[in-house]
Amino acid sequence: MEPSLHPGDYVLVNRWAYRRREPEAGDIVVLKDPGAPGEFLVKRVMSGDRLTGLFVLGDNEAHSRDSRQFGMVPMHLIVGKVRLHTKP
Amino acid sequence: MSVAHKLLRALDRVRPAPVAYAHCDIPCGIYDPHHAQLAAHTVIRMVDLIGQLEKPGPNAAPEQKQEYHNKLTRYIATKEQHAEIYKNEIRILYGDYFKPEHLQAFPTLHDTVWKALKAGSKGRQEINPAAAEDMLKLANEIAEAFWKTKNIATYKAKAPYPTARETVYPKLG
Repeated sequence: MEPSLHPGDYVLVNRWAYRRREPEAGDIVVLKDPGAPGEFLVKRVMSGDRLTGLFVLGDNEAHSRDSRQFGMVPMHLIVGKVRLHTKP
Repeated sequence: MSVAHKLLRALDRVRPAPVAYAHCDIPCGIYDPHHAQLAAHTVIRMVDLIGQLEKPGPNAAPEQKQEYHNKLTRYIATKEQHAEIYKNEIRILYGDYFKPEHLQAFPTLHDTVWKALKAGSKGRQEINPAAAEDMLKLANEIAEAFWKTKNIATYKAKAPYPTARETVYPKLG
């Protein structure tokens, strides 16, 4: 996600962000990696909604595995929305 | 360092938080230029097949026209897809595999990759036999450099596909 996020940054995630609200394009979300159980990814929402799932991309597109590879992410894999992130 | 970061770092030490990966290319070490070479063969083959396709005349039956359009569309779709695979594979080798020391040994690599990507775009956009041939030629050059970085010798042989173009292979075993 460089340049938005860098290795070693902390992110605080709101797990309840999408209980009543639709995700918006531009939101940064943490999701369960559809290709690697137990791993988490952090990506930016491009489009989608709670019914169909989200299309997510990494900011550093050339080096990101994202919806271009694994397709739409169903909502049960979305952990939550990044509310705050801090840099070392 | 911000106060918030110090606080979160302290919390992380007490109760470690899971890691979320932003860059998710796992440095697996598994790379091979063969995918790009294979995709170039496919683009050459599709250009050949498009060229061989008999165009229906003005008095052709609707079924004949439909058959022509179906075949043409399928060839074009395959050409598009494999030209994009080619570009992606070249980008992976360039961005993830090749290191600065490789570039010192192969100073023309930047230029070769740039030309390969341009040829890939042209091969995708146009029905262009020369661009398709360039895609394979440049993929072969990249393959030669790639295998040299691994101290694996290469040889050239005609590919065992209908395209039968000269292709660079590693001498393994």
